[in-house]
Amino acid sequence: MKKYLELVWAILATLTLFAFLLGYLKIISTFFVAVLLFTTFIKGQLVIDYFMGLKNVSWKYRIVPTLWLSIVITLIAVAYYLPSSSS
Amino acid sequence: MSQNIAIKEKYPPGDFAIWIIIYVELITFGLLFLGYAFSRRADVALFNESQLMLNQTSGFINTLILVTSSYFVIKAVKSITSMSEESVAEANAKASKWLLLAIGCGVAFGFIKSAEFYHIFGEGIGLSTNKFFMFYIMLTAFHFMHVMLGSFILFVIYKKTKRVGYTFGDYSGIETGASYWHMVDLLWIVLFPLVYIIR
Repeated sequence: MKKYLELVWAILATLTLFAFLLGYLKIISTFFVAVLLFTTFIKGQLVIDYFMGLKNVSWKYRIVPTLWLSIVITLIAVAYYLPSSSS
Repeated sequence: MSQNIAIKEKYPPGDFAIWIIIYVELITFGLLFLGYAFSRRADVALFNESQLMLNQTSGFINTLILVTSSYFVIKAVKSITSMSEESVAEANAKASKWLLLAIGCGVAFGFIKSAEFYHIFGEGIGLSTNKFFMFYIMLTAFHFMHVMLGSFILFVIYKKTKRVGYTFGDYSGIETGASYWHMVDLLWIVLFPLVYIIR
């Protein structure tokens, strides 16, 4: 069996460790939030494509979770980067 | 010359009904995520201060656990879907081992999350403490219930593999349960950085 699943797991684990270190070392900043959201998108898309197995199905089924992930992450970024209403 | 052609399947794996459920769940959690993100804008200081009470390490370990469990589940699915007519018993036996590991991950997630809830509730924190904890408890408790249900589904599939219940060409059940489990993983992948890390 091809080892692509192991590679996907390794990427997911590495990006999770990266996210944790950003928080643990308290180096989260506006720049790193953008990086974090981008890596979250990559992680989500890897799960959608390789674990859920949607990479090789008709685009109309794959597009729903991909769109969901894109919209949710984009709007989280919008909420984060728009000036706070309390400031 | 070999050709590398990816054959597109018409439908996603498992019963089609599970995909309707998955899409509805994604929308529900998506709205909660956005509710959290936009509520945070109204009082960033409160959210940042409250977030300090969370244990990032347990959030990190739980993320690793869920990602790893998803890996175990897809290995179980691949064991079954790649079987031949001659290797049915062997494929079921292999899948059952992967599923047992995945169920173990689900139980471990449950223990860690319960310890986190025990700590938070022990501090006298509840849904009405503030907006951050309202979202935190709602999101993580709702997700926790999905993990418990997912673990139960994996257990039912595990029992079927022990009975050599999946045969050549008849494995929709394991794909259905696996799809649900991966959705639970996908939701936590967004939840972890949003609630535990971003500040």
